[in-house]
Amino acid sequence: MGDAHLSAYYDAVFDTDRDRALAVVKRALDEGVSPEEVIFTIVVPCMEKMIGGMMTDSLVTLSQHFLASQIAEEVADTLIPRFKTAPEMQGHIVIGTSFGDFHGLGKKIVSGCLRAKMFQVTDVGINVRPERFVEEALAVGAQVIGISSMMVHTAVGEHGPRRVRELLREQGLEDRIRIVVGGAPYRFHDTLYREVGADAWGVTAIEGADVIARLIREIRS
Amino acid sequence: MMTGMERLQAVMAGRLPDRVPVLCNLLDQGARELGMGIREYYSRGENVAEGQLRMREKYGYDGVVGMFYVAMEAEFFGCRSIVYADDGPPNVGHLVISRPEDIETLQVPEDFNEIPRFRELATCIRIMKEKLAGNYPVTCLVTGSFSLPALLMGITGWMELFLCGDPALREMLLEKCSLFCRRQIAALRGAGADLIAYTSSVATSNIITLRQFHELALPTIIRDLDGLGTGDIIYFNGGGQINPHLKILLERTDLRAFYINPFDSLSEAKLALDGKALLVAAINDIRLIDWAAEKIESEVGRIMEQGKQGGGFVFSTLMMPLAIPEQNIRVMLEAAYRHGCYHQDGT
Repeated sequence: MGDAHLSAYYDAVFDTDRDRALAVVKRALDEGVSPEEVIFTIVVPCMEKMIGGMMTDSLVTLSQHFLASQIAEEVADTLIPRFKTAPEMQGHIVIGTSFGDFHGLGKKIVSGCLRAKMFQVTDVGINVRPERFVEEALAVGAQVIGISSMMVHTAVGEHGPRRVRELLREQGLEDRIRIVVGGAPYRFHDTLYREVGADAWGVTAIEGADVIARLIREIRS
Repeated sequence: MMTGMERLQAVMAGRLPDRVPVLCNLLDQGARELGMGIREYYSRGENVAEGQLRMREKYGYDGVVGMFYVAMEAEFFGCRSIVYADDGPPNVGHLVISRPEDIETLQVPEDFNEIPRFRELATCIRIMKEKLAGNYPVTCLVTGSFSLPALLMGITGWMELFLCGDPALREMLLEKCSLFCRRQIAALRGAGADLIAYTSSVATSNIITLRQFHELALPTIIRDLDGLGTGDIIYFNGGGQINPHLKILLERTDLRAFYINPFDSLSEAKLALDGKALLVAAINDIRLIDWAAEKIESEVGRIMEQGKQGGGFVFSTLMMPLAIPEQNIRVMLEAAYRHGCYHQDGT
């Protein structure tokens, strides 16, 4: 039954049919599937399957990622309060776009995926100053700062991730906080993340969640 | 030696030029050339024309760009705030559409020449046309109606609307954007544009599925270009991949020039077009920021090797970031001129 729900949910998301995807979730709950199972055997595996589709045959597009993430966030927000016990959070990330960058789509997709995968997310919005990323990470106790950039100059410029790295170094925070980046420039240049001072980058928005989980494990170990 | 215009005309007519035409989309670099800040540079058409002309003279490529920055189209549509940076292109700072009601009240400009910012662009085009005297083409950029909403309401808002929103509202917006697109093409031609790069970045295969392309994007492309004549129009990838759409566009539209993405396979594109359309291939110009000269040389050589056989081919770039060192621009172009030469047997 779980596989049937997953399959129906994946097909609906693949077809970017939001109403059909939410109907699958409702049907599963009506049939007695627990909120925990809905998240961990339908919603999250669907996102992971989409990563596979993107990486192996490039058949999965940004619009599908976007919808998968939006629905995942919506379902998680609704169902997590109904869990029998409060879920153990994987970690906390502060996320935003680099200073001068007004493109919030990638950040929004990553946020949705992270919430469904039991991360705490603090979204600091678009056009974010480097200082604000660090201040907010300290304020909420985040282990990772996520910086999204759509344009080359906002990725490599002096007010982007590079400055966040400098601030972490100056304040002695590098062993407590990691930097992950994402966005179009990194797709065209797969080692650019190192040049801008990041610890990692995500090829796709959804893959970013796995990268962030790895960084948090590194810090905790 | 042929001029850039002669080379372009030759490949568009199915003849072999002396070498592959080479286009290079340098934009913000013009400000550096004139020793100006980005905001000052883009404030007047005269500045941009001077920057474009100096860069073409300096590097020797085959055309100039008749555009300032992508966000300028939002200004033509009523955007009140543009955010300038010192090291890159300006951004949209005010979304024209922030509520559904804004779509209903959105006004498509009747006459582009009454828009002050468009007049600056038109001035730029006219100056370049006059100075270049028909020897080098002026290429302008127009965003197709399926992608224009992203500039007006943000990509997130547009994606929410076209994926899950009210279909009637979506159609109303697309109709208005199509009218805008058609009027802009007419205005640019009136100002003297030789080539129009029609771009639809949201309609690329990275962003929408093939089904969405058929059902949502293709009808808008057909409507945007219906009856306008496509002899001067190049379908530009806008930063995403378009190979899966080439055959469909060839069959369903009169488009006969396609400008693929660095991640599109060049050999697959040639196969899909089958000699029926001009192919423009772009180097991954973000890598020019730090590639060594040898790597640039070999990459240009690879693209030319795959593309130039049989003609109908143009070498180009995407929107060259300002962070690319001048020396690497020279290395790329010199390699393109050398590898792009045709011998008498057409190789």
